Amino acid sequence: MEKKVLWRVIVIVAVVAAAMWSLWPPSEKIHWGLDLEGGVHLVLQVQTDDAIKAELDDAAQRLVSFAADEGIDLGATEVDAESFRFSVGVPANTDREGLDEIIGRSFPDYDVTRAGTSWSLAFKPNIERLIRDQAVRKGLETINNRVDQFGVSEPVIQRQGIEGDRILIQLPGVDDPERVKRIIKSTAFLQFKEVMAGPAPDRPSLLAGYAGLPPSDGEVMTGNRTGYAGEVVGRSYYVVKKSSIITGRDLRSARRSQDEYGMPNVQFDLVPSAADKFGNYTSSHIGTPMAIVLDGNVMSAPTIRAKITDSGVIEGNYSVEEAEDLALILRAGALPATMVYLEERTVGPSLGHDSVVRGVRAAVSGLVLVMLFMMVYYRLSGLNANVALMINLIILLGAMAYFGATLTLPGIAGVILTIGFAVDANVLIFERIREELRVGKTVRSAIETGFSRAFGTILDANLTTLIAALFLFQFGTGPVKGFAVTLSIGIFASVFTAVFVSRTIYMILLAGRDRVQTLSI
Amino acid sequence: MRIIGDTNIPFLSYRKIALSLSLLVILSGLAYQFLGHGLNLGIDFVGGTQVTIKFRGEPDLGLLRKSMTDLDVGTPLLQRFDEPEKHEILIRVENPEGEEGDFTGPIIELLRRDLNGGIGDAFDLNTRGAQSLTLLLGVEDPDATGLDDEGAAEHYGPIAEAVLGFRKENGIFTSLDQLDTIEGVSENVIAFIKERADLGEFALLGAESVGPSVGEDLKEKAQLAIVFSLIGMLAYIWLRFQLPFGVGAVAALFHDVLITLTALAVTGREINLPTVAALLALVGYSVNDSVVVFDRVRENLKLHRGEDLEQLMNTSINQTLSRTFITSGTTLMVVLSLYFFGGDVINTFAFVLLVGVIVGTYSSIFVASPVALGMHRMLASYRDKKRLKGRKRR
Repeated sequence: MEKKVLWRVIVIVAVVAAAMWSLWPPSEKIHWGLDLEGGVHLVLQVQTDDAIKAELDDAAQRLVSFAADEGIDLGATEVDAESFRFSVGVPANTDREGLDEIIGRSFPDYDVTRAGTSWSLAFKPNIERLIRDQAVRKGLETINNRVDQFGVSEPVIQRQGIEGDRILIQLPGVDDPERVKRIIKSTAFLQFKEVMAGPAPDRPSLLAGYAGLPPSDGEVMTGNRTGYAGEVVGRSYYVVKKSSIITGRDLRSARRSQDEYGMPNVQFDLVPSAADKFGNYTSSHIGTPMAIVLDGNVMSAPTIRAKITDSGVIEGNYSVEEAEDLALILRAGALPATMVYLEERTVGPSLGHDSVVRGVRAAVSGLVLVMLFMMVYYRLSGLNANVALMINLIILLGAMAYFGATLTLPGIAGVILTIGFAVDANVLIFERIREELRVGKTVRSAIETGFSRAFGTILDANLTTLIAALFLFQFGTGPVKGFAVTLSIGIFASVFTAVFVSRTIYMILLAGRDRVQTLSI
Repeated sequence: MRIIGDTNIPFLSYRKIALSLSLLVILSGLAYQFLGHGLNLGIDFVGGTQVTIKFRGEPDLGLLRKSMTDLDVGTPLLQRFDEPEKHEILIRVENPEGEEGDFTGPIIELLRRDLNGGIGDAFDLNTRGAQSLTLLLGVEDPDATGLDDEGAAEHYGPIAEAVLGFRKENGIFTSLDQLDTIEGVSENVIAFIKERADLGEFALLGAESVGPSVGEDLKEKAQLAIVFSLIGMLAYIWLRFQLPFGVGAVAALFHDVLITLTALAVTGREINLPTVAALLALVGYSVNDSVVVFDRVRENLKLHRGEDLEQLMNTSINQTLSRTFITSGTTLMVVLSLYFFGGDVINTFAFVLLVGVIVGTYSSIFVASPVALGMHRMLASYRDKKRLKGRKRR
């Protein structure tokens, strides 16, 4: 074999070997998109306004309680989340210097405006953005925890969007999207609160003792009222203290368990510092009810029978699965803000499976048709093109595996189109060779001219398609991106195989034969 | 073998008829799009929710429609998905104006309420997931393993996967007896599932919901993709060819896209992201086809200087005619396999390419070159006039 030909063969073998190597084993190396594997694609928006409001609420409560610790009694607080500030009533006889000192010490993120008997504390510049950013980051972390605990393999959880307040979640293989969506979206903000009044069947009778308005340190909350069999028969109204005894943040762990009658519940353990606080509270409040509040809903309001320190139980007529899920989200932590779904795409496993079967069937039948045609029309040269086509497909799949590209249903369509486009290059060359043969050129020179003349055309034709594919990749999302990827790689591969591989095959065939009279084309 | 021999068809002589015909089709298409129902934009671009459901038996469309009225969001669109004997229905509803949120959840809740009332608290093998089944089996322990929660999950996890694997293959359980066909699951477990589980009337095949802000984003991205690829291709053609050819290729491109859009409008097919991807692939194909002819014209221009452009173009088209047909043929072979075997999800995608390839082949012969020729003659006469004027002044 001539040296030149040998080099070409080595290059081809090396490329094919590299493609095979990166492709093997295909079941592990080719990533399937959600539309083929089945799964859920979600885009959530973090309502960061919630986090702003929560921070202001929390700060207002903190200020009142810090002041109380130093013997300073403050008036009512009011939060204005729109302008990122809260105000607090400062009675005329207040120790203003003491209050100033507390604010200076514990509220460095706030600017204070002192106006008579009402002081207002507003975020310093940039604090607002910082809190929003933290809320998204905490949300991302919490969702990560929850998905991890739920047990989804290879999830994708990313922050995105211009404002950076969106979270993209992709969960392959999920077969019960409703349950997963519930688990992800639950805020899971758990609070234990002192019950000041209630339960009452309605608001007026609850507030009868307070002249119709809840006290300044209390608020009205409601929960389901259940009958003997656990069925919901109405709402119960409570007045609970605004400040919580402990919250979900104080939990060390939570797990599903059951009571002595076999009813599922959730058991939790507290971190040591919270255990002390909880122990102190329960020992001094034996015989009084305490509300367990989840996301603003009173789950139950049991009466404290003894001192509770480091562990407890949450009951609420749960099914096994509800108890399991509640334990899971309590372990994973609360979301710092509510989340809103902006986009959902669920592909059930059977639809994905179906798409794969049909996609493969379409690809194979297309491939067989094209190959048969090439064989019939161009005979041995058609065989040459078919070898090039097979190598093309191996390179295409190998490159996809190498780049970690995802195969989607439109991606399979891209592979199928590549089959059509790939033979186009061969057709251009073969038609040219035939023309050259017709005008009486020798086989060698016809092949020579055929390839060199067709090359420019092949390049022009493929580059235009590549331009479309690249912009599709740039602006496409999900499955469409998969299409752009297979199409782009396919274009490169087909130029290589049609121009280089087919040419080499001719070279091998013609090598060692001095005078070639005929070409099977 | 040769399908098309040496031809010498004066294609460009038919240019007036061909261009008039194309113009007529395009104009009536545009009129149809603007005066009629227009393009059927899918939820990717207008937002909305779409749920595909498989039923155990023949679905009761009246009941479904009634069920969906509780959503209060205008008339839901119900249509068959795939072959009728598969009992698959696609439900599409608009989302409440300007609102974001989970809109697939409520649809499924309504379907549960109205269709699955009969199964009560039983475990629904057609909608629940493997993790839930694992939990149920773990708690009740029909194999009497005596394992703790974690061990039970390990033991029953693969069993639950195997049981619900049936749904993955077949889409839905139609009878509890189908449980007997599942291998690798103990009789106790099967007996337990038969006792505690039941079959809901439907299974969820897929669900899509796009809120207004994502819809806006997608629309913007699709527009950018289209605009930039058009600019990219124009720039390329402009660099590689003279102006008249660029104009010809672009005319053919718009011709193909406009006619394909008309076909989409007439058939009422939904336009979603993959449809746009197919349109762009078609744009690539269309330009590709024109470029092959023009490359030949350029080559012939060098060989036969001074010959009439119309004659040259005719020769070039005839010379490349065989290639044009064979490539269209092989591309049609793959596109047809995609159209017939690819399934409903990809059908519109295949349809765009199918129409596009046929129209694209026509336009590379009857639109691209005639327009290029016309442009060339216009430029030539413009130059002549200028030269004449210059002479007069002198």
